[in-house]
Amino acid sequence: MKKRSYWVTIIAFFFILIFLTPLLGALYTSLRTDNAILSGPFVWEFDKDLTHFKNALGAAGYDFPSFFRNSLVISCFTVFLTVIVSFPAAYAIVRLGFGGPWLPRLAVALRITPAIFFMVPFYKLFTSYDMIDKPISLILSNTFLNMTLALLLFCDAIREIPIEIEEAARVDGASIGRIVARITFPLIGPGIAAVGVLTFLFSWSDYLFAVVLSSSNATPVTVGAANFVTSYGVRWGDISAAVFLSVLPPLIFATAAQRFLVKGLSAGAVKG
Amino acid sequence: MLLKTERTIASWVLSAPLLLLLASLLIWPLVLGVQTAFSRDRLSEFEVTAAGLDNFITLLNAPNFWSSLGFTLSYAVIVTSLEIVLGFTLALLFDRAFPAKKLLFSLMLVPIMVAPALLAVMFRLILNENIGLVPGLLRLMGLEVSIFAQKSIFTTLVSLDMLEYTAFTFLLSYSSLQSMPKELFESAAIDGASARQTLFRVTLPILQPSLFIIFLLRFLDSLRTFDLIYIMTGGGPGTTTQTVGIYIFKAAFAYGDFGLASAAAILIVLFLVPFMPGILRQFNLAGERK
Repeated sequence: MKKRSYWVTIIAFFFILIFLTPLLGALYTSLRTDNAILSGPFVWEFDKDLTHFKNALGAAGYDFPSFFRNSLVISCFTVFLTVIVSFPAAYAIVRLGFGGPWLPRLAVALRITPAIFFMVPFYKLFTSYDMIDKPISLILSNTFLNMTLALLLFCDAIREIPIEIEEAARVDGASIGRIVARITFPLIGPGIAAVGVLTFLFSWSDYLFAVVLSSSNATPVTVGAANFVTSYGVRWGDISAAVFLSVLPPLIFATAAQRFLVKGLSAGAVKG
Repeated sequence: MLLKTERTIASWVLSAPLLLLLASLLIWPLVLGVQTAFSRDRLSEFEVTAAGLDNFITLLNAPNFWSSLGFTLSYAVIVTSLEIVLGFTLALLFDRAFPAKKLLFSLMLVPIMVAPALLAVMFRLILNENIGLVPGLLRLMGLEVSIFAQKSIFTTLVSLDMLEYTAFTFLLSYSSLQSMPKELFESAAIDGASARQTLFRVTLPILQPSLFIIFLLRFLDSLRTFDLIYIMTGGGPGTTTQTVGIYIFKAAFAYGDFGLASAAAILIVLFLVPFMPGILRQFNLAGERK
């Protein structure tokens, strides 16, 4: 019985190899010398100095380090703001009956509405408040996009906490604010982790709003890398290294928090 | 146990950040969007003037708009179907114990963690005519296929979409398989059902509602495909791979016609509105069942 299942490993490995071709291809290219890259895909000549990685990290004068910093700033603040905005509201919805069924319904309806709908209005809005090409406009738009999923996940997480704990605190004379901050918030750790990892992932991946709302100062890696391909089309080694590095932060974060990623995506999918 | 007034005050205070965000980033942009759609609002002209239904009439008569709508729909139907079938098949494959399962499962999820825009850049690298791995391999096998030609571009994009998003349908299918009661399989086995019978008579009928929701989610998501196609082809050759998203983006930021872009965005949402109650019901049903 145990022996037979080796075929599953082989088939699964084969599929994974196909799914990961782009990632492996980028890594492979970034490790080779320029000479080898231009001579064809199967010329084995590796660059021991990691020149392409050094170039991507600033040695060649590209803006990549600043794109990288922007992505980090945007993603981290989006996570923070999303939690601040969604968690208290979710508490009001679940425990205080705020908004009846309407707020969750609105959240689902918003998730269905294509983000492109907000592209022109956001552009106009942020232009009129002089927030274009600043990280704040991207933080706000990404918070808006991720807030719906966060709200639904937090509602689920809060429902899972036995209400008796809160009632006991209530009897002891704790105010609602104190209960929310000192009891409920620490208890929904897994829910926060799920929201955190998904929001980080999605805001790191955002391209649509980044391409509209940033031109140079606030450009994140997604737009930076895409522009890179069109403007430095021959420097494949450097591009590969830059893209490979850009993929790493969310990849490491999400792999470390894989349990929460799986939980969050499944709950979000099954319950809307 | 709580006083009603205390409850009301607390509700409003706790929801205040969300309501503020909704007011500034939902209601206000909504007003702006509708207003723009009914205006002649172009980057090339200094003044914005009322235009009535002009933008909508222009759109309804624009063959490009309809062809991008057609492309988006056929693309979404095809990628969603293929990804559901492949993702579910892989989930069935993973639904047993086998060596190195944990590691392989983690590796299966990697595409979810990679930004579509970054993946598109890598695709351009590995598909590059001169230096790419894939054309190189094809040449080794004696195949001469031009990946970006009009003839093969649709297949190329569908394959790339599958590389990116099958991980998603796989994960959700796997989760729903895990939530099935194991006794069902045991009793099916005792009754002497073959693997095939178990799949078609037990697993699929029970998972049908979950699979439908996975389909719906993936379908709605693929309707808004933008990054991947925009970076790969920019909507070309010509406008053959132009999704609705690319159409709206180009109308606004390549041709500077904000009025037309907003009108197109509103039409897209109007197309979705009739399906909203049904979709909401689907999601609610799933929530209550759990």
